[in-house]
This record gives sequence, structure tokens and C-alpha cells, in this order.
Amino acid sequence: MKITRRDVLVWGAGATAGLVFTPVPWKLLSDISIWTQNWRWIPQPTHRPVDVKGSFCTLCPNGCGIRVRMAAGWPVGVAGVRSHPISRGALCPLGFAAHQLIWHPQRLRTVRHRRSTSSWDEAHVAFAKACTEGPVVIVDGYPGHAASSLFEAFAEKQRGSYRVVSGPEAQALTPYETWSGVPATALGYDLENVRTIVSFGAPLLDGWGTPGQFTRLWAERAAGAADPDLRLIQIEPSLSRTAARAWQRSAIHPGGETALAAGIARVLLEEQLVQARGPMPPLTLAQSAEQSGLSTDAIRDLARLIVGRPPVVAIASDDNPSIAALNVLLGAVGTRGGIVQKSKHAKSHLPAESELDSVRAVLIDSSVPWDFVPQTDAEVFRFAAWDGGSSKADWLLPAPGFLEELTDIPTAPTSAIETYAIASSLVKAPPGVQSAAQFLGRVDPDLTPVDKIIHTRCEALFRARAGTLCAQETTPVAMIPSVEKLEEQLQSGAVWMGEPQHPGGLRCKLSEWPQATRSECPPCNSLGTWRAPVLPPLASKLYQESSLREGPERRNP
Amino acid sequence: MNATRNTFVFGLGVAIALLAGWVIFPRALYVRQNQLLAFHHKTHAEKSGFTECGQCHALRDDGTFGGIPSSDTCTSCHSERMGASHDEAVLVDNYVKTGQEVPWLVYARQPANVWFSHAIHVQRAGLACAECHSTYGQSDEVRIYEQNRLSGYSRDIWGHSISRIRLGRHDGMKMDDCEDCHRRHHVQAGCLGCHQ
Repeated sequence: MKITRRDVLVWGAGATAGLVFTPVPWKLLSDISIWTQNWRWIPQPTHRPVDVKGSFCTLCPNGCGIRVRMAAGWPVGVAGVRSHPISRGALCPLGFAAHQLIWHPQRLRTVRHRRSTSSWDEAHVAFAKACTEGPVVIVDGYPGHAASSLFEAFAEKQRGSYRVVSGPEAQALTPYETWSGVPATALGYDLENVRTIVSFGAPLLDGWGTPGQFTRLWAERAAGAADPDLRLIQIEPSLSRTAARAWQRSAIHPGGETALAAGIARVLLEEQLVQARGPMPPLTLAQSAEQSGLSTDAIRDLARLIVGRPPVVAIASDDNPSIAALNVLLGAVGTRGGIVQKSKHAKSHLPAESELDSVRAVLIDSSVPWDFVPQTDAEVFRFAAWDGGSSKADWLLPAPGFLEELTDIPTAPTSAIETYAIASSLVKAPPGVQSAAQFLGRVDPDLTPVDKIIHTRCEALFRARAGTLCAQETTPVAMIPSVEKLEEQLQSGAVWMGEPQHPGGLRCKLSEWPQATRSECPPCNSLGTWRAPVLPPLASKLYQESSLREGPERRNP
Repeated sequence: MNATRNTFVFGLGVAIALLAGWVIFPRALYVRQNQLLAFHHKTHAEKSGFTECGQCHALRDDGTFGGIPSSDTCTSCHSERMGASHDEAVLVDNYVKTGQEVPWLVYARQPANVWFSHAIHVQRAGLACAECHSTYGQSDEVRIYEQNRLSGYSRDIWGHSISRIRLGRHDGMKMDDCEDCHRRHHVQAGCLGCHQ
């Protein structure tokens, strides 16, 4: 019998049809997917006894407490710490997966000079030469850290300038600095005691401030209740996740926050709903209604609703002065459940966003988000743990990644109480990696290194004998026998928490209603102002698109 | 005539595919390996008087699982040869006297991205060891270790039926099996419960 081409095809069709009814395709699909996860060049945690170490997340300035599971000296898991006084066990999705960032494929491992491979020696020579030729600007993303002190000292010695890139939460506090004279870095929100929050686009339930703090408060005091103890009124053009979960939501025109704040303030004053007698906003109620997209009746109802359950505080998503002025009228500044002064030692810093004239070089620390572009023609030395693609940086310098560097964690920008913690270096940084502080220390060996600055800060805490140390148990600092013991506990994951300041110490003088400087800035909402933490753009993009965090492109019409 | 021939050839293709898929494929997919030493659970339990799995496979003080006992544990009885078998000679000469660990092939080893706590499942939830490990601990059978050529995992993870039709609760240790058990016990572990 002759086998024809047709026989082969029919046999093949039969075999294919038969295979569908066997486990071959499904089992191979499963096994091949696992096989791709186990290629030998993909890092795998080793099977060793697991050790758990306490530390702090350094992906953003809030420093949530973390428990790091270590196997064979490598981190294999991250979880929250319930004893942390601010985060109380909560972490953002990025924090939970942060131990994998040290293996990120875009990890920077070599010095690059204008897209060519270079060396640390050449970078040192270039930076030292720049220092001799003109002023240098150091840009920091986490002011208040031990490295920040080193940066400030270096800038001062070089007659340069120390600048700061602040997040939107910190920027929202800047108007109060103008009116009270207290630095914005010394202010915070007393969220634990507030009962009504008017959020002008701030993503409170979506990673705002210390991730998890508000989510926890919401779960404890509001979620699922028809008339919750904690009312959240979200004013936002789009139906963000925070808006969808809020107790009340007002959909306004993009950029209408300033007008609406003025309209609410006018109703509060006209109907004497507040005790404060502040300046009357120049906008009429009709103008506010037209610009915000709400009716005049809706603005009146909103104003009455806001004052219905004090203490009340308005939270802006940026430095909108009208919303800050509304807080002054509401009596939310310097009161329990409002905006409070947490520190007497904080100082204000120059922002890095302004144009940097007559500068020879700019050094950008790895804590500065990748999307920050200095407004200058000077030579830029950019430290980063990950390569974020195109950047206005002449020098790209590989910095230590997550858990690879000893650093301290000062008070979170939105916190109402002072805290201090130390994130130890749990993982050895790969060869060829240097932090900006180490780099400057080599340029100027007289600078005090970071570990000594941290030790000095611990000594100051010990000498002050104030506050408590929060670990599994809470211990007053006065009960700790030595500074070495204090530092050891801090390095093991304990948090120092200061005494609460008296809220009445903060006073704002508002002689006239602030000019509407931001009405031309649509849309001033959470999606427009949200900034990814210190991550490469690709990771930030994946983070946004993976539904972990809404990005502008996901905005509802 | 042509239709009959085509049907026959098509059926032949189907039959060969079914034979290959259900009989040849599972044998080709797994590498069969013998344990280095023939360890008999039942014999050891009878001679030592141990009645609980945890007496050898103990939890450490910090709650982590000790896994397979170390060579030190064997030393208490096998410091010298207790018989004339080849395995006994290998155990005593190569491992007990040198202090090296026996490279046991672990049937239930999970992938590195799984965090499984024996303490939570055994002590808190009160699950019996046999729920996951069957009654292997009561037998004198030395099982063949079958390793998947592609994934590198033990066959116990997928389960012994290539079709994933489970023969018992202990058959299979994939995520579906964990979820199934959690569902039956009304436990919500979430992603991070196991993938920390």
C-alpha cells in the first residue's frame, strides 16, 4: 500500500485532534512557563534557614517599617511591621515587592559619561574640576537625612547651593510657611484626630502621605458605615479610586479647585458657619459656581456639610494657596485634628525646580525622582540605582539600591509627630556602586561621613531623654541605659517617636485672600500631580498600568 | 474507498496521539531517581518507638520547620554499622562518620517563591501531616523520586495523575491545591500569605 501525501496530512490532522484530548498541551504550557522562571541567569533565592531583620523602606521619604526575610544573606521577602507608630504594618504594593528591585534589569552598575562607559576616577576628576571652576548645586530628594547634612555642609564649603525636590504632600504645606513663618518641613496633618477631611484631589486612599496610614484609619473609622466617624469628602474631576470610596464626592471642572475653595470660604463667612473672621474671597458665589462646575446651592450645601462634624481639615494635592486659606478660615491650622507643628528644629530649603543660573555643576542624589530635570546648562552628575532611559545628565553614576545603604529616616513629610529611625545596610552593594555621600566624601575627606552623623543624632536623642522607642514594646528613651544601646535598637528596626507638640503653637496670619495663581493649571487633581517614587520610568509605567496605581492615562472622562 | 481509508488514517493519528499523550509523555517528562539510601519510615518508627512525625521532623524554637533530620540525628543509633547492608555502610562511612548531610531528594519541596509555614498549618490549623504527605510516613516503601525535566520540580507538586484528577487530598501541591484547601477551611490567605 502506497502512503500518499494526503495520508500524511490526514494522519497529522488526526494526531493533532487526538493531542487536544491528552494532557500534553496543557501540561507543557504549565511546565514551560515554570521553565522560563528557572533559567540559570534568573536570580533565585537559596534554600537556607530564614532570618528576619527589621528595617525601613527607603523608596519614598515616609520610611514605613518593614520586616525583611533574609535567606543566605539575600532579601527574599518584605512585610509590614505592626509596631511602627505611623504605618502600623501597612505597606504600598511597591514596598511589598521592593526586595526584588536590586535585581532589576535596568540596574546601573557602571559609570556612564554621555552614554559611554567611564570610571569613578574620571567622574571624581570632572566633579573636582567643576568645584574649582564655579558654584555647585546639590539636589536632594529626602531632606533631613544624614546624607542631607553632608550635602549641605559640602554646598556651604564650596559656596554652592543645597536644593530640595519635594513631593506634592510636602508642597501642599508651603503656603502655611509663608503665613506662619514656620518651615513647611515642620508641619504635618493630625489625621488620627480629624473627623472630616475635604480632599481637593489628594489621593488619600491611594498612597498619599505615609502609605497605609490613611487606609488604616479609613478601615477603622469609616469603611462600610453610612454615617462614618471619619468623613471623607473628595472634590475631584475624575472618579479616582479615592473618589469612588469617599463618603461624599463632588465632581468639579478640571482646575476648579481654587474657585471652589473660594466659594466655600465665602459661604462660611456669609453664613457665619465658622468662628474665624478672615478676608472675603474676591470671587462671587456665582463666579465660583461657574468656574468649579457646581451650582451655587451645591456649594452652599457643601460648606454646611464640611463644618457639620469638626475637627475638619482640607487637604490639597499641590501648593494651592486658596485651599490653605480655606483651612485658616476653618480653624484647622494649629488645632487638634488639623495642621500642626511637629518640630521646632526643622528648617526650610530652596526648591530645586527653579532655574539654576550661573552654576558650574549640579549633583543630583539618587533620592530624587527620575523625572526631575534641572533647569540649567551646567554639567549634571546624576546618581541613580536604575537607568531610567533618557536623562539630562552628563554623568550617570550607579548608586546603592534598596537595603544596600545605611541611611536614617527622619520624620515623614505629612506626619504630625516627630520620628527617627535607621535603615541598616542589609545587603552588600554590588561592586562599582557609590552613594552621593561617599562620592562627596572622597572629593572632600574632611566631611563627616553618614555613619558618624547618624551616631551624633543618636547621641542627641539620648541626651535629650525625650520621647519613646517603639519596637515590640514601647520604652521611654530615659529608660535606655546608653547611647550604644539606643543606636543598636534603632538599627534593629525600632523607631524613636517624639513628644506631641502643643497644636496651639502654630498661627497663620492671612490679611487678604490669596491670588488665584493656579486656575490656569488644569487638571490639579491627584492623577495630574502624582509622582512615582524613586524608580526607573519603566517600572513606574508598569506600576501605573498594572492597576496598582492610577496614572493620568487611566483617567475617566 | 477513499473515505474509509481517510477515516482509518485519521483514527490511527488520533490513537497514536492518545497513546503518546497518556502513556509515553508522562514517562518521558519525568526523570526517575532512587534515593541514595533506602530509608524505611515504618521500621524506624517501630524501633525508636516514635509515634508522631514531629518527633523527627520537628519545628524549631522560632517556629520554622526543621525538615529532614540531620546526620547528627542518625548518629544516636548509627554511630557504628547496625547491619550488613550496602546502604548501612554508605550511611555510616560516608555521612555519619564524616558529619556530612545525606543529599535526600525532597518530594514536597516547593518553588522558591512560596512561603509555607508548617507551624501555621500543623499547630494553628491542626492539619494532620497525611493531609499533604499521604501515609508515606507509615510505610516501608522507598519511593522513586520523579523530577520534571522542564520545571525541575518533584512530581508530587503536580500530583501523580498527569490529568490532575486528584486521587486524594494529598495528591498535588500546586497553588490550586492550596487554594482548594483554604477554601474548604474558610481561610483567606491572599497573595502575600504564601508569596511573601
